[in-house]
Amino acid sequence: MRNLPSSVFTILFLFLILLSACSSIDCPVENQVYTVYHIYNRAGEETTLGDTLFVWTPRADGTDTLLIGSATSRKSIQLPISYNNSEDLFVFYICDTLQQVTLDTVWVSKADTPHFESVDCKATYFHEILGVRSTHDGIDTVIINNPHVHYDPSQEHFHIIFKSRY
Amino acid sequence: MTHRKSISTSFSRAAISLLLCFMSLSAQAQGFLKLEKDTIPLLRGFALSFDLVGAAQMTLSDHGQYEGALRLNLHDQYFPIVEVGLGRASHVDDEVTRLTYKTTAPYFRVGVDVNVMKKKHTGNRVYVGMRYGFTSYKVDIAREEPLEDSFWRTKVPFVINDEQCSQHWAELLFGIDAKVFGPLHLGWSARYRFRLAHQDGVMGKTWYVPGYGLQDTSTLGATFNVIIDI
Repeated sequence: MRNLPSSVFTILFLFLILLSACSSIDCPVENQVYTVYHIYNRAGEETTLGDTLFVWTPRADGTDTLLIGSATSRKSIQLPISYNNSEDLFVFYICDTLQQVTLDTVWVSKADTPHFESVDCKATYFHEILGVRSTHDGIDTVIINNPHVHYDPSQEHFHIIFKSRY
Repeated sequence: MTHRKSISTSFSRAAISLLLCFMSLSAQAQGFLKLEKDTIPLLRGFALSFDLVGAAQMTLSDHGQYEGALRLNLHDQYFPIVEVGLGRASHVDDEVTRLTYKTTAPYFRVGVDVNVMKKKHTGNRVYVGMRYGFTSYKVDIAREEPLEDSFWRTKVPFVINDEQCSQHWAELLFGIDAKVFGPLHLGWSARYRFRLAHQDGVMGKTWYVPGYGLQDTSTLGATFNVIIDI
């Protein structure tokens, strides 16, 4: 031990204490999983909602919940996605400037995968969209652009074309 | 996320700079890759060691590892080493997230330490080294209560069983061994670990990786070794 000064041991010991004190909780800032619908016209150009849109979904207990209330002039909308229903159903209520109403149903089928970040972070599910279909009263087309649904809100999962925006 | 990357890069640079600094000092002193010219034989023996930090972690916290090592002594300068261990995590019912995470798996590391002291045959050593590590492990993750879907008002179980994962990683280390008496040495090492490749299964990430520690792109660690020359 004579060739190794005790101060070297002390410094190293303190360094190791400091190391053991370094811990952090590293949960994602974005921790909500949503699907994002961008609004397009038939020419394939991004556009905005021309009418007023309401979206709701039925719950398992027979009640409904409003997901979007009175949205207008938006380039995109975000809708939640269920943890493990094999298919989600959304009702699109579109009211134009003349107060004429169209009503459509959109079905999104998907596969669900449990997602884990850390024991300190909220558990959730990520999803792979398998298919989408709709009625066509006010909706012209809904297509899948990116089937992977996770925390990133910048993804465009669906392109939706409304008939009022031909 | 960008901020974390820059911190990680800074640690990488600092660790590599430290290693290069010691290499440079040693090279200036006597030629880093050259054995000291004396009558001491090349093969000086073996040493067995056991890490007390991992064992203390295992006892005092919800994760840790039992680890031993076999080290070859080449002329008191080069020390090829194999480290093997058993890592375990048992984090049960987190008080905030209600998550339970369990894994138990073996791991190994191989590498070499280089004694950078000018007088290498005193029995005391200051060394730098590097390791390659690998583990293949399975994890069980469960939430003690089902997840509640706030929009659909459904309750969904969150269970992942026997998810197969693996990880390759590297370590840069700085350490000290001191001869206490007879064949007994005690030694510290501080380590900078970084992942080379990893497979975390389908569930996204893992939390504790046997032999590596809590998951991250890089991490700092330490060992306190009881070493016996044989």
